[in-house]
Amino acid sequence: MSDLDRLLLGRRLVVCVGPGGVGKTTVAAALALRAAQLGRRTLVLTIDPARRLASALGLAELGDAERLVPVAEHGGRAPLHAAMLESGSAYDALIGRIADDPEHRARILGNRVYQIMSRAFGTSHAYVAMERLHDAAASGAYDLIVLDTPPTRNALDILDAPGRLLAFLDERIVGWLLREAPEGLRARLLARGGAAARRLLALLAGEALVRDLSDFLELFVALRPGFLARAEAVQALLREPTTAFALVTTPLADNLADAAYLRDGLAARGIDVAALVFNRAHVPLGDHPWSWAASERPLADDLAALAPADADETSAFTALLERLDLLRRGVAADNQRGRRAIVAFAAAAVTGCLKVQAPILDREPQELRGLARLAAILADPRATVAAPR
Amino acid sequence: MLPADPLAERRLLLFTGKGGVGKSSVVAALGVAAAERGLRPLIVELGHRASMANLLGGEIGHEPRAVACEGRLAAMSIDQDEALFDYIVAQVRMRRVARAIAGNQSLRGLFRAAPAVREVITLAKIQALVDARDAEGRPRWQPILVDLDATGHALMLLGLPQLLRRLVASGPLVGVGEALAGLIADPARTLLLLVTLAREIPAQETIELFRELRLRHRVDVGALVVNQVPAPPLDDALLPWLDRAEARVGRHGPLAADLALARRLVADHASALRVRERLAREVEGVPQLPLPHLAGGIEGEVELRVLAAAAEAWMSQRSGGRDREGER
Repeated sequence: MSDLDRLLLGRRLVVCVGPGGVGKTTVAAALALRAAQLGRRTLVLTIDPARRLASALGLAELGDAERLVPVAEHGGRAPLHAAMLESGSAYDALIGRIADDPEHRARILGNRVYQIMSRAFGTSHAYVAMERLHDAAASGAYDLIVLDTPPTRNALDILDAPGRLLAFLDERIVGWLLREAPEGLRARLLARGGAAARRLLALLAGEALVRDLSDFLELFVALRPGFLARAEAVQALLREPTTAFALVTTPLADNLADAAYLRDGLAARGIDVAALVFNRAHVPLGDHPWSWAASERPLADDLAALAPADADETSAFTALLERLDLLRRGVAADNQRGRRAIVAFAAAAVTGCLKVQAPILDREPQELRGLARLAAILADPRATVAAPR
Repeated sequence: MLPADPLAERRLLLFTGKGGVGKSSVVAALGVAAAERGLRPLIVELGHRASMANLLGGEIGHEPRAVACEGRLAAMSIDQDEALFDYIVAQVRMRRVARAIAGNQSLRGLFRAAPAVREVITLAKIQALVDARDAEGRPRWQPILVDLDATGHALMLLGLPQLLRRLVASGPLVGVGEALAGLIADPARTLLLLVTLAREIPAQETIELFRELRLRHRVDVGALVVNQVPAPPLDDALLPWLDRAEARVGRHGPLAADLALARRLVADHASALRVRERLAREVEGVPQLPLPHLAGGIEGEVELRVLAAAAEAWMSQRSGGRDREGER
């Protein structure tokens, strides 16, 4: 059993983070499939609006609802579910869960500030993802949840967003903006400073916006305790010892720079990366996926193996072999550069951090079979990045 | 439409593309091209991206700072809090009051979380950079190259003026919104460049983005930058010999592995050609600027100069090999 398998068996939540375009969504899905193969009831939750994940999972479509992925014929021993977050509908569902009163709910859903906030902006997207995670974790239906996140900077938003939203619902600000007559001494005192703040805000943003904002806050403030409790639960969940952050990157310099930024950002928030996944690390040069070095041999041997029939064939095959040699050396040099970058990056990881690398596949996995292949590669003990000899 | 010389003729060049297409490298390379030509380029990133600092080999601050090309290429990243302060100063016109507002923790929290605030101040800051003049009254920056976030965020920014119109019926934001809408939609000042790869998934996303832009946004899409275009691995004359060699060698052993590698590179190259043809059909009327794939990736100024030279050659060929010596 590989270290990666042990991680998938031992944790309850794996959060995949990484720069854009490194194949993070695919890796998340492959990890989830592997966990299902190991007998864990698994959910893969993606925030990235990547429609192709649906086809990679063998589903016609993927939406907010959790859907069963047909993994039985790909070695799945426990059910694998998948869901894709759509910010707008997920937010509406959240309001549905927190706001019990139908009239209150309808007023929130109809508010312009709410509509724009729930549909247009990144921060709230990250926030609602955390909400969704909270529900899935609390449902008890899964042994493991694999969470795919949006690229780099936004991945830190998933840690910061609940705090930001709570700041937005800060009692002082709410006091400034609420138009209802304040009740009690404390509220009246707050309101006095608030009139000035409100005027300033109107100057900056316009009276109409402040009015809409007031409406919005009025509707939302009743929900604040609910938000607060859930936000705290999610923050605690992300820091549980049964939660692992997996950082996915490629060995390309710009990806590694972004990955380092992300690793440091997580560390600053008290979170260590538990697994480094170097995806698209090399082009295989031999019979197995981890052969990254070129084999050196005399051209004459290869020419003999091709058994040229005449002088024309000899000269054409020689030209071909010379070209092949060049291509192989080029790829081997790329692999070697990647290898050095991986070893250097891996050396900076915290003790106990798992490091695996997967090659560039001939095709991105576009169906379950491809995903199963990637899962097998990642879980193979040979995928582990060894320290340099 | 792409002007004959976009680097000199447009003030604001906006770049967008899916994560992983090398957008930062493209922005940096065109910045280098503009600097080489004696223009006054400024690269602007939204928020911090470690990869840009890494490419240009220097820390990027919240004010324009010379970072590469012997000081001729400047870069900055827009910091939300700084930009917010600038915006408040512009609106309140009293620095002391503005500082009090910007320094208030609760208000900061409100602005950070409130919808559209980040986006408004980002665009307002870009506008201020566009309007900036030097001591002689010339535009301070020419061109300004903005590395927009991945496609979703870019659409959000481009759609912001429309959103503001929906959100605010009156007040100062209306004016801000109109000014920003005017800047983005102004084909004399602004050009959007889409960055993509000659691979199926990024190309598909680019096609979808282009349709969305056509449908909902008034912005001039100038060029499709196709990054990391692979060179043909084999001469056409050698291709039949690859077939023959495969027929004579089994499936295993080092020579078979080399043949498989060549076959894979040939297939990648053919696929890239097909994808470029599809892009030409579906992103209609937008010229493709191909940039070569460089072995070993883009590590710094040396590789950026190679890309810059490729971009310059393409632009000068398009405009009929015009002599640019006189512009220095």
